[in-house]
Amino acid sequence: MFGKIKKLVLGGEKENKVIEKMREHLKYVKEANELLKVMIEKDDKDLAKEICEIEKHGDVIRRDIALYLYEGAFIPGLRANLYRFAEIVDEIIDEVEDTSIAYTLIPKLKEEIKKDCLRVAKINVKMSEDLIAAFECLQSECELKDRTLVIRVREEEVDRIKGELYKKMMKMDIKNYWEGEMLSNFIRHLVNISDLIEDAADIIQILNVSLS
Amino acid sequence: MLEIIPVIAAAFIAFSIGSNDTSNAFGISIGCGALTFKRATIILGFFVFLGIILSGQRVMKTVGEDLVSLNVQIISIALVSSSIAIVLSNWKKLPVSSHQAIVASLVGSAFAFGESINIHTLINIIVSWFVSPFGALILSTIVYVLLEKVLLKKPLFRVERYLKVLLLTSGIVIAYNTGANELATALGPIVYYKLLSSLNAAFFGSLLLFFGALALSNRVIETVGKGITKLDAFSGFAAQFGAGLNVLLFTHLGMPVSTTYCIIGGIVGVGLLKGVKTIRFEFIKKIMASWVLTPLTAFLICYLATLFLV
Repeated sequence: MFGKIKKLVLGGEKENKVIEKMREHLKYVKEANELLKVMIEKDDKDLAKEICEIEKHGDVIRRDIALYLYEGAFIPGLRANLYRFAEIVDEIIDEVEDTSIAYTLIPKLKEEIKKDCLRVAKINVKMSEDLIAAFECLQSECELKDRTLVIRVREEEVDRIKGELYKKMMKMDIKNYWEGEMLSNFIRHLVNISDLIEDAADIIQILNVSLS
Repeated sequence: MLEIIPVIAAAFIAFSIGSNDTSNAFGISIGCGALTFKRATIILGFFVFLGIILSGQRVMKTVGEDLVSLNVQIISIALVSSSIAIVLSNWKKLPVSSHQAIVASLVGSAFAFGESINIHTLINIIVSWFVSPFGALILSTIVYVLLEKVLLKKPLFRVERYLKVLLLTSGIVIAYNTGANELATALGPIVYYKLLSSLNAAFFGSLLLFFGALALSNRVIETVGKGITKLDAFSGFAAQFGAGLNVLLFTHLGMPVSTTYCIIGGIVGVGLLKGVKTIRFEFIKKIMASWVLTPLTAFLICYLATLFLV
């Protein structure tokens, strides 16, 4: 009886659906990054197909979130940033997909480059976990500032590795233009993933203060 | 035959209160998507009825018995002119207080008739009109500060849920006050002149108010706050809840005070907390002018109408 009155008066189902979809979306971010890490580690280019599948699921989730928000989930003051968050999470998955496709187009990585790329891929996985933890701070009590700080520190680490990677790349012998272009694309996409995760964490922080 | 005129006029006023004051109670909730219009209207109707049944007697007695010695002509002239003023002001979206219009019309008409006016009650009512917006200002400020300290530290999604419950609560308080104070003011003269029984007046008044909300209030579901300061959902709740508590207090004292003006007082209080610059003083000036002009105009029109007609 009380449940029926609560549902009649307050609803809340759409909000729960959005939160669940966002959790699922973030789970895909982590899965895609884990697959990318294994792909680089084992030089298994077939994994790109699985990442592309995840990207398709990610698109569907983003559209579902938009639909629920359009139907009136959450108060209007939150909807724009919630959708922006879903968009950025989707961009992260897109970027992982682009990285995996670029990886299928380059020859086997040299050991010193591979080591750094793997470091970045591992950090990306950790950052995905941190992003999930930061998102959970919107639902249960925890220190959001600490979570986003960890994300920022990891992103700075990726920036440092990026600098080292570019220096190493400049010393490499490149056989032809396309080999160099594809390798450059791969590195650019790989190091951009952490930037997008940091952007998503920023949106979580904006959301967290948007009712203040 | 003449007895039917004030009843019809009171019915118009009840209908108008419904069409105009749903926005007082649930404008913010509807505006921020926490409640649908249909749900809000049903909740409004229910709590208005509860308000007038449980707490409407004191205000009805003040307006219907204590204020002036009534006769059917006074009630007819006062309620007809008030209903015209209220319907017109709703149509033009002006913040005219139905309490001020009704009380001043009754006094104007009774004065022209040479009937006795209870100056002590009249002064109490006028003092209440002065004090109530300031009371709402103080209460809303306290509510806002408490909210900031307690609620805003909680996780966002939980805060959003609490906020919806809080907005619903404050809406219910305002709806209850609409019955206990606003509708009671309109029906007081009819009940105390025994044109309708208290229960019948409460039932039909609430029903007409409900239909007024259903038919027209969608047109005026714009919070009065938009004009004064940019209002977020939290500020809206603090202003509305502070005003609601304040009107509840005055209802208990039997004083007919305007919910709209109390909400405005609450909004100004919250606006002041956020900085004086957030307040649009031009809008405040307009409201203050209306606050002074409404009772004066209502008094004069009813005084002259009574002299002319009787």
